[in-house]
Amino acid sequence: MNDALQRHCDSVVGQMFERCHENAPNFGVTSECFSKSLNSTFAKFAGSSSDELSDKDVTDFLGQIQADDLFMAIACANGNERAWWEFDQQHRSYMERVARHLARTEMDATDIVDAVYEQLYGTRIVDGERVSKFATYSGRGSLRGWLRTVIWHSLVDRHRAGHDEVSLDEMTENVGEGGAHANFAEQPVGGDESMVDQITRERYRTATVTAIQNAFSSLEDHEKLILLYYHVENLKLREISRLVESEDSPLRAWFQRKSATREKNPAGRIHESTVMRWLEKCYAKVLQSFRTQLVSESGLSEAEVAICTQLATQDLAGGSFFNNLNVSRSAAEVSN
Amino acid sequence: MENKITLNPQELQIQGILDRYLASGNNRIAAEGSHIDDDSLSAFVEGTLNRRESDSIVSHLVDCGFCRHTTAELVKLDLAFAEEAPAQIAAQAEPSKISEVLSGIFSKIFGTTDGAVFAHEEKEKKEKDEEKEGE
Repeated sequence: MNDALQRHCDSVVGQMFERCHENAPNFGVTSECFSKSLNSTFAKFAGSSSDELSDKDVTDFLGQIQADDLFMAIACANGNERAWWEFDQQHRSYMERVARHLARTEMDATDIVDAVYEQLYGTRIVDGERVSKFATYSGRGSLRGWLRTVIWHSLVDRHRAGHDEVSLDEMTENVGEGGAHANFAEQPVGGDESMVDQITRERYRTATVTAIQNAFSSLEDHEKLILLYYHVENLKLREISRLVESEDSPLRAWFQRKSATREKNPAGRIHESTVMRWLEKCYAKVLQSFRTQLVSESGLSEAEVAICTQLATQDLAGGSFFNNLNVSRSAAEVSN
Repeated sequence: MENKITLNPQELQIQGILDRYLASGNNRIAAEGSHIDDDSLSAFVEGTLNRRESDSIVSHLVDCGFCRHTTAELVKLDLAFAEEAPAQIAAQAEPSKISEVLSGIFSKIFGTTDGAVFAHEEKEKKEKDEEKEGE
């Protein structure tokens, strides 16, 4: 960062400090401490791209910081009594509700909140200084959103401690509302043996699996992620739309990058039907790529492509019921 | 009808195949390096990161089931608690009760009172001040 940009940054940070200090004069946060935290966050942001930053970039970035939340977090990290008191008043009951929502028993919930408080205060001493978890909060999101994440991870750690033999993936699927999917297992083939012999079937199977793998791999990361949220994490359309609710959401910006709607109404609500359309576009892309793979790479005819698709549907889903199930889910969600 | 599902039969089939393929975990790639920190995860879920910051996070979430599952659960939590208004503190107890509140918190966590915790800090601070004065 050049000197002029640093001066601009210092000036904006100074104004932010004045506002926060006015709101919470008893928190004992110094201007140096506040600036140090923000400069560290800004350096991380500036380092995420090689593009030259402008004064506007700096102002926009700092404008998004949840300054009052950060101010309280710094004060709590420093052990300020007034800040701790206000933190407890504002957030304790919320934390308890979140913990109760996630934990299986009331006792677990209470233990988790106590454990999180312990982390937040910090019991570890490094180089003579107490290490408070609050020091890792940067103000990029709300303090409550951050607390939810800390509680979630505390719950995962707690679960992990009691299940040493369980892998991280298996374990996270058992925490919260996550549910396990059925495996991509080969289903016993029914009465269609006469249609395609076993060798041909195996050839089609290999080509199909390769094609679907490549088709998925060919998608952009944003498209992959929305598909994974829907199909693997079982997020409902409403939940995905929540994820892209913020006008500044990068996921939303990515999907709407060529959208006239965005230009007309950038702050407009993202409805479930919009998310469904994004998913439909992804399916269309996957289908296109899947077919191209089978025809160009595997040298199959259109008729064989149709057989591959049919076989995959039977093998992977146990028949046409699966498709109906998916349509029902989507239709039900959209109609709600 | 506006919300009508518009997938054609082939797209429906590919949706089903894709669903099973993704659910099978065959697409999983072990994400390199460590997981995303709490601060970035919560900011991502709230949509407050900008494009330049989020690209690497989106990329990580595609490969890392652990972090992706965490974000998914956080979205569910966010929705579940969306209705709640931030607690109002203005009309609550006077600061004179701070010690009482903190005492409850810290005695529960550390088996001691906040007085002891903060008194310890006060003492350290006092000692440091005295050292400075001595210099």
